[in-house]
Amino acid sequence: QESTVTGTVTNAEDNMPVPGVNVLIKGTTRGTSTDFDGKYSITAKSDEILEFSYVGFKKQSFTVGSQTVVNVTLQNDIESLSEIVVIGYGTQKRSEVTGAISSIKSEELLKQPALNATQSIQGKLSGVNIVNSDAPGAVPKVVIRGVGTASAGEQVLYIVDGIQVTGITNINPADIETMDVLKDASSTAIYGMDAANGVVIITTKKGKKGQTKIELSSFYGAKTILNQVRMADANQYVTYFNENQTAIGGDNSYQLAPASQQPANTDWYDALIDVGFSNSNNVALSGAGDMSSYYFSFNNYNEDGILKDQDLSRNTLRLNNTFNFFDNKLKITSSISGAFTKSTPKPFGAFNEAYRQAPIVPVFYPDGHFGTNDVNRTTGVQGFLAGLGETIGGLNSVGNPVANVFFSNNKNKATDLQGIIEAELKITDFLKFTSRVGMTKAYGRERVFNDIRGRYVVAGDPVSDTDQQFQNLQDANPNNTQYANNSLRYTMTENFSYNWDNFLSFDKTFNEKHTIGALAGITKGKRDDFYFAETTAYGVPSQEQYWSIEFANGNYDNVSTQRFSTYTTQLSYFGRLQYNYDGKYLAQVNIRRDGVSTFKDNAEYFGNFPSFSLGWVLTEENFLKDVNGLDFLKLRGGWGEVGNSRVPFNQFRFNTNSGSNNVNYVFGVNQDFVLGASLGAQVFPISWEVTEETNIGLEFRMLDSRLAGSVDLYDRRTNDAILQVRPVLNSPNDANFFDSGADITNKGVEVELNWRDDINDNLSYNIGVVYSYNKNNVENVKPAYDGQIGGSLNNGQITKRLQDGQPLYAWWMYEAEGVWQNQAEIDNNPRVGSPKPGHLRYKDQNDDGVIDDRDKKFFGSYLPTYNLGLTLGLNYKNIDFSVDAFGAGGNKIYNGLKGTRIDGGENITADVFNERWTGEGSTNVNPGANRDAIASSYYLEDGDYLRINNMTLGYTLKNVIPDISRIRLYLTVQNPFLFTNYSGFTPELVGNEDGAPEERAGIELSAYPNTKTFLFGVNIEL
Amino acid sequence: CDEDYLEVDSRDDIEFEDSGEVVTPEEMVTGVYGRFTGFSYAFSYLGVSEIISDNSDKGSSPGDTGGDKNLLDDLTHTTSSSSIRAMWEEWYKSIGRATIAIDYTQNYENYDANLKSRLIGEAKFLRALHYFWLVRSFGDVPIQEVDLVERAPESEVYAYIINDLQDAISALPVKSSYAPKDVGRATKGSAQGLLAKVYLYQENWQAAYDAANEVIASNQYDLHPNYAEIWRASTENGMESLFEIQGRGETINHGIQQYSQTQGARGSTGWGWGFNTPSENLLNAFDAAGDDVRRDATIIFRGETLWDGRVVGETENPMYNEKAYSSLNVGDGDGDKNIRVLRYAEILLIQAEAATHINQDAATPLNLVRERVGLAPIAAPTVQQIWNERRLELAMEHDRWFDLNRTGQAAAAMAADGKTFVNGKHELFPIPNDQLIQTPEMVQNPGW
Repeated sequence: QESTVTGTVTNAEDNMPVPGVNVLIKGTTRGTSTDFDGKYSITAKSDEILEFSYVGFKKQSFTVGSQTVVNVTLQNDIESLSEIVVIGYGTQKRSEVTGAISSIKSEELLKQPALNATQSIQGKLSGVNIVNSDAPGAVPKVVIRGVGTASAGEQVLYIVDGIQVTGITNINPADIETMDVLKDASSTAIYGMDAANGVVIITTKKGKKGQTKIELSSFYGAKTILNQVRMADANQYVTYFNENQTAIGGDNSYQLAPASQQPANTDWYDALIDVGFSNSNNVALSGAGDMSSYYFSFNNYNEDGILKDQDLSRNTLRLNNTFNFFDNKLKITSSISGAFTKSTPKPFGAFNEAYRQAPIVPVFYPDGHFGTNDVNRTTGVQGFLAGLGETIGGLNSVGNPVANVFFSNNKNKATDLQGIIEAELKITDFLKFTSRVGMTKAYGRERVFNDIRGRYVVAGDPVSDTDQQFQNLQDANPNNTQYANNSLRYTMTENFSYNWDNFLSFDKTFNEKHTIGALAGITKGKRDDFYFAETTAYGVPSQEQYWSIEFANGNYDNVSTQRFSTYTTQLSYFGRLQYNYDGKYLAQVNIRRDGVSTFKDNAEYFGNFPSFSLGWVLTEENFLKDVNGLDFLKLRGGWGEVGNSRVPFNQFRFNTNSGSNNVNYVFGVNQDFVLGASLGAQVFPISWEVTEETNIGLEFRMLDSRLAGSVDLYDRRTNDAILQVRPVLNSPNDANFFDSGADITNKGVEVELNWRDDINDNLSYNIGVVYSYNKNNVENVKPAYDGQIGGSLNNGQITKRLQDGQPLYAWWMYEAEGVWQNQAEIDNNPRVGSPKPGHLRYKDQNDDGVIDDRDKKFFGSYLPTYNLGLTLGLNYKNIDFSVDAFGAGGNKIYNGLKGTRIDGGENITADVFNERWTGEGSTNVNPGANRDAIASSYYLEDGDYLRINNMTLGYTLKNVIPDISRIRLYLTVQNPFLFTNYSGFTPELVGNEDGAPEERAGIELSAYPNTKTFLFGVNIEL
Repeated sequence: CDEDYLEVDSRDDIEFEDSGEVVTPEEMVTGVYGRFTGFSYAFSYLGVSEIISDNSDKGSSPGDTGGDKNLLDDLTHTTSSSSIRAMWEEWYKSIGRATIAIDYTQNYENYDANLKSRLIGEAKFLRALHYFWLVRSFGDVPIQEVDLVERAPESEVYAYIINDLQDAISALPVKSSYAPKDVGRATKGSAQGLLAKVYLYQENWQAAYDAANEVIASNQYDLHPNYAEIWRASTENGMESLFEIQGRGETINHGIQQYSQTQGARGSTGWGWGFNTPSENLLNAFDAAGDDVRRDATIIFRGETLWDGRVVGETENPMYNEKAYSSLNVGDGDGDKNIRVLRYAEILLIQAEAATHINQDAATPLNLVRERVGLAPIAAPTVQQIWNERRLELAMEHDRWFDLNRTGQAAAAMAADGKTFVNGKHELFPIPNDQLIQTPEMVQNPGW
């Protein structure tokens, strides 16, 4: 029985009709396609099956049955084969890509609202390790395929709409259409000397054909600390303190009175932490006609930190336009954006103080003065009051974190302006010329106000530091800035960079089977053109409206400084050749020739960076074409060399210094200050680092594209990595210098798997797994260059060392092997110094009866060896639900908060208290209240964790309200659960100095705790 | 495109040739002296010269180890002890600066020849001093100008030192002929005095005696009449001084960085970190000798009133090092006090000790030292009596540990102080492990 079936095909995302959809009767050649209004009409028998397919959408089938009207809603196919991937100076179909490239689309990004889009992609892409801090405005550390450099720049290269930029904090994530991450050298080599750490390409949204679309979206959120570590209370603290004092003994030890007699039982985290609120409001208007398209957006984003008054707000504006001229022969594209950020930072050191300050110290004394660390040593009661013959001392040397936050008065403002204009001229239908110029200008302004008098009077010594005393000091020292009422500092920075690309692209198919693509271009650019100016003044009026240098007190000298940086210019030539035989055999060769001004003193300052890659689509071969269940299978492999031009330099100079420096001395009966000099560091010629990488990958889709995935294996080696070298101890030179001195390797596996299935029209689900494993190693270290130490705990202890055969700056310390139970045990065994019972004992690794550095052991890296991302999505009618998880591990992290006690009066966690050694036989694992401060494996813990980083429940209403095509309401919980055995606040420890390996990466000393956020949001499309 | 585009001149750091600066040989030699103002001399040096000996204890709070000062105090220091490493590096870096300064001076054109000669003499004296400190601490050590890895036998190192000192003696003026602005530089007498001490360590008694005699005969020096005043700022570079490390406590601060602070009294009424405190053992030695003058000049007692009127209150430790007390800069980072490295009293004691071995008059020089502090003369002094005198006269002046090892008294003295001295090991410090990581072929000292 044949009948005519009609219907409309619409796009599920925007409910707009989709023209040009193929409608085919399965197993036949009969078919049609939809018209401009998405309508179709076809004659079919009742037992026949209609297939609807369209590029970029999932194929759908319906049995005709008795229906005469079949309306179809097409679902976006996120990982469609025909998906376009941005590859640098061009694009390519996903199915034809021969390098290792991971991509993420707008809707995935927006599931995890954040200030900076890199925060949202954690766990979404294989081989991309993101270490995040939840501090407002923090920039996550992005590491692609391991750290391959010791002393050179580690930042990935960001390309926004074709232009190199240094960061993307100025970009509203809602404006991002796609992020493509180029991971292997065969893909990144087109960016030459800047590409060694991987490339992240961001493409912002453009207007699409169809009627004007207005999108409104808002969310409101509240966040609190995720993984609260419970501290000891007053009772526990007093017990612990007294045990320590008993163990110390001697004339100066004293005991605290019981907690019941102490003035407070403060929970410093409670006192310090507020619920942080956040909200974002976004408006975007877009559309396109035949000749032009437009996309406007405005975003207002506000986020509070969890410290009092800590906040950040950002407004972004964007205008992306395209214009076509001369019969679409010339296309002009512009992307203009501005980001205006304002923030009130607060000192993260407060978290450290909250951890350490004693619970018996009150936040405030009854008179409003901030609580201090004073204790009456005679009575053992916290406080600053002493009777006759009683002495006051300090419990510890920790400040009052609430005071610290209260007196921190900084305001930062940043303005980032970015503009890109691109002209694309079609010379013929296979040859086009593109010229693109992009500029970025950033302004920063920082204001730091320090109420010196207020701090002295309200947070200083409650007895002696009175306002009158301050006045006396000020009167006695009228020009000494230490006794000014306040200080005010303004810092201004400017930064400019630009790029100008010109390239020709060729793309033509010969004899229907041979497709050749070619690219040749030249680019020049300038970056790091940095200007800095700072002025400090003293004694402005206390009211904020007068905080201006001109109102400073004339008794004090203003201090100003200003400087320029040396900017970097770059001139590069690049080319690419692609060959594609019938979608079956693929080949690509890239070459980049880079000249960077940094190396102008280097005779050969041009560097050449070649790469090639090959692909073989096996499913195009006859022997695999008709294998049931296998839809697509591609084998690909590549090799390439990329560079790192952000390397440090030596400079020949004599050391001279006009201050207190060890080149100067005093001579003469009057001890006159005499300037001297010494020779500076050794100078070695330094060039860019070269990273060489081989990659092999497999991509597949099977079971009607329900299962899709890829596997990649890589081996990358940075040859002659630059190290900061300490001269041999007994050599004449005394300044550290840089020289290339080691190879750093990263080898790994990456797996991405996605399963998506529609159980019926109402119910569909998807499961995704992303896994990557990376092994880092340092090899071929030059003699005498080994042994650089790092990971300072700021108490004289270090925890990391660079050594041939170990991961970069691997953990290196004593191995704890129990607790000294009694003095006899101590006397009869090798030990460090003169420990007491209850101290940790350390292993004599070389059994020579002495414990020294030769008994320190390597304990692997702070860098995770594996990263894991999980995604689960479920759609039922109008309801969508998803859970995302992220994990990392295989590494060790150091609980420095637990491990570094200075004077024994710092607070401890409840766990430390409960587990402590209390006498012979009590435990052979945990030290007692009296313990040493030596860095050891006791404080080194597994860094493995799994965090549910997003749970979202959404409900979509379509066409229920006139003129509103779609409303989606959702509830999201970010980071609701953290599974880890780590005893600190967060296993994600970026460290200082942008996470430099030799610094405190992987060490928790003052880290910002992870937070969990509850969000309610609404998206409206008109 | 024009490749001139890539010509970007640095504007961050001024290249030396662009700075317009001229570095003179005099500045380079000042740079050698300058290393004396490093923090090593204020902390690490205390550990390896005094805290380790029977003269002093670590001091400070029980929990404050001072890095490895607790280990040195217990004689449980290791190849990783930071103080030993710091001094090893410090002395070699100073030697490096001296050698570079000598080369620089020799090759510098259009410069006063006399000044050149004197500057080279100063640098050679300083190089010899640092090698002497190295060789008596570590035994065989590499001669930096020869090889960084191969440890030269002690005898070669001493020959090198003596050669430098002889050059210095012939190049340097006597103390009194320096202009007032140059007071504090190495003099002929500094080099002669150091040479006497070097010969003493080599047990070359005649040469030690003669070198000491050269100093005495120069008529440049005498004993300061009041022992207690020797370490005060008022007597700096005074009649008794052969060589001092210069420091001042005013802005620009350039004291021997924190030397007085690290040893200042600790506690709520104190002014310092309280390290390197005189030991009970030292106190007993003073008392046994009836030596009140030197005891009270060497030790600050808890509760006492100091010579400048400061009342020492309730402090954490019962005794502190008075020779490190900087009256004008109490509690400041940099003190105003010079460190006495070599003074006339020691020259007399060197002569006395040498004299006992070559049948010369030991009593006269020894008794000059004793008379000043009101002790009865000794008619026919034994070597042991001279050693005892050295201890009390030079207490807390960074000589004791090396003197104990030189004279073979170390094992007994340590035992008497309750520490286990391992013969064949503890005489020398270990070569720092960090050095051996850099140069694995270098041989470690026995026992380490």
